[in-house]
Amino acid sequence: MGNLIWHEYARLVTITASIYTIWAGFFAIYFRKFFWDFVGGTVRDPGGIQPAPQAAFFIAVIVKAPVVPIISMLLGMFIVALEFPGPQLKGMAIQRSFIFKTVMLIIQAFFAVLFYQGTNGALWSLIAAMCYTRAIMLGETMAEAKENRGKAGEA
Amino acid sequence: MGESWFRREFLTPKRLAFNVVFYGIHFFLFGYGWHTQATNTKLAALNGLKWSVWTSRGAGLVLAFDGGMILVPMLRNILRIVRPKLTWLFPADENIWFHRQVAYSMAFWAMVHTTAHYVNFFNVERTQVRKEIALDIHYTQAGGITGHFLLLIMLLMYSTAHQKMRQQCFEAFWYTHHLAFFFMIGLYTHATGCFVRDSVDPDYIPTFPFYSTEHCLGYESWRFTIWPGIIYFGERIWREVRARKATRLSKVLVHPSGAMELRIVKPSFKYTAGQWLFIQVPEISSLQWHPFTITSAPEDPYVSVHIRQVGDWTYALGDRLGAGPSVVAAMTKAAMKGTEKDEKDILGGSSRGDYVEIDAGSATTSLPAVRVDGPYGAPAEDVFDNEVAVLIGAGIGVTPFASILKHIWYRQKKGKLGSLRRVEFFWVVRDAPSFGWFQSLLQEVEAAQADPNFLRINIYLTQKISEDMLWNIAVNDAGADYDPLTLLRTRTMFGRPDWTAIYSRMKQAIETGRYIPGSNAQLKTKVGTYFCGPGVLAKAIKKATVEACTSSVEFTFAKEHF
Repeated sequence: MGNLIWHEYARLVTITASIYTIWAGFFAIYFRKFFWDFVGGTVRDPGGIQPAPQAAFFIAVIVKAPVVPIISMLLGMFIVALEFPGPQLKGMAIQRSFIFKTVMLIIQAFFAVLFYQGTNGALWSLIAAMCYTRAIMLGETMAEAKENRGKAGEA
Repeated sequence: MGESWFRREFLTPKRLAFNVVFYGIHFFLFGYGWHTQATNTKLAALNGLKWSVWTSRGAGLVLAFDGGMILVPMLRNILRIVRPKLTWLFPADENIWFHRQVAYSMAFWAMVHTTAHYVNFFNVERTQVRKEIALDIHYTQAGGITGHFLLLIMLLMYSTAHQKMRQQCFEAFWYTHHLAFFFMIGLYTHATGCFVRDSVDPDYIPTFPFYSTEHCLGYESWRFTIWPGIIYFGERIWREVRARKATRLSKVLVHPSGAMELRIVKPSFKYTAGQWLFIQVPEISSLQWHPFTITSAPEDPYVSVHIRQVGDWTYALGDRLGAGPSVVAAMTKAAMKGTEKDEKDILGGSSRGDYVEIDAGSATTSLPAVRVDGPYGAPAEDVFDNEVAVLIGAGIGVTPFASILKHIWYRQKKGKLGSLRRVEFFWVVRDAPSFGWFQSLLQEVEAAQADPNFLRINIYLTQKISEDMLWNIAVNDAGADYDPLTLLRTRTMFGRPDWTAIYSRMKQAIETGRYIPGSNAQLKTKVGTYFCGPGVLAKAIKKATVEACTSSVEFTFAKEHF
């Protein structure tokens, strides 16, 4: 095998997974559905699945008010900003912390897997988290960004 | 970036034509797919889902087109055959670029298609137009399962194909891209779940394709898209068969600075100058194929490639062939001390053009088995259609021109040069030791020139020169017959070439009739430029060629890809 730098690969997967999740979260605002509603739910015609009473909490935060999709979108946007990195995040320690990114991705996967559109985003986030874990295991590090880079007119 | 996006995409006629045709087809197919779904009375029940089903069907048809086209630029053998006939129509050498455009478009339409289907299935469950829930369609039916797998495969293939990843770890890209096999299978079977139907339940039948087209009313696009897949698969098998034909590594020459020249004998291998091949050394890796330019001429009794030791695989090859780092270091050192030609004869020292030969017959090392796949096309084949050929190589990008120069030399001996009257060869190189391996060849070609005006060699050294070196050159250069760096009659020039000046001088010389002896001023002179090297340089040269064009002199430009 050649020399694959895992955290650089993980970055690409993370960006893809997060953008997918943002898009999924956006559609989940209009087409609200709890992914796990089939557990104990009954199918009504017309009307689709009527979730079990135990799922009332999730119905409240996903269907009645799309809180979970909105959190997912915000989280996804934050992760994308962290990965690119946005000018405010550049140079911060969390921007270079793989553990932080892994944790963020797992949280993103947790939120995304709750709503109907989010499953692929969740799966892909977990793949990205695994890639970051691999990078941590191999002891990869990210160099601190140079202070003088990307700043125009300060030379 | 340099030029603006708008300028590049819309103000370049060729690119504009491509964009109009390529994206025009996409939008037409989308509209057509949308329209046929929306107006099909048989599918009235599905049409109850409104815009989402029209969008998904339109995007689905576009994706079928992309799925068919994605493999077309990868049909390397067919491209090699049609290339010379079709260069006027489309740039067949840009096949990888086209492959990427199709891939980008596929990613976009996959997003549209998937989004629309998420809405479709949501509404199917809500309205119960079919007695099933959304997750049934997603995770228990063919369309849903293959769709999710296709997306996952796309994630893996696209991310490892990123330029950065390819450079870091070509193997990761190479192996992951073979998921294309499963991708294509998924694509062809995506519609077998019979989602688009006018019956209540899917109308499965026991014979191929296992659903009846009477009630399953998809576009049947697999009937078209499967052909590139079958042809590609056939090509891969044929390549494998061809690679297994008798091949023998007869000789290895190790040049200073670590370039290895592999001389391979394969009687069944036919090629033209400037083409390239894939090489495999099963002892190092039985799966990896690596592309290299052929540096021998078709007239030579062997096929040779020059391999520089830069990556994992090439280092492993160097070790295996007994040309490891220590050998190379010793040779480079000797070469740097390299004395002048005539001195060498007296003193018996080593000169820069020397190489170590590792023969198949020698007892100490045995040469590994090699396999060769190719040849594949490159624009430099059509050098002989021009009156003037300008060959520009940068660094290791000089390799295709080795073959072409040799080939020109052979044809010159036979007096069969076609319309070719003059050759300008430029070699832009960063550091002096790189001259080594190419030198013996250049010397040979230069020495053989009967007509001093036919071939002109221009060598540019772009490295910053230390004061010591400067004096060294100045002292050795004065009055010597040969250039102290290259040992050629031609003098090395220092610094970067000024392409605009070079081309405008050439244009003036042609127009005044001084350049080509006996040329007819009424006829249009064709000057073909062939370049191999980094993209930045390519842009600069291309700009210079475009600027130099006049009514009587036509400058063309072609770039090689790796």
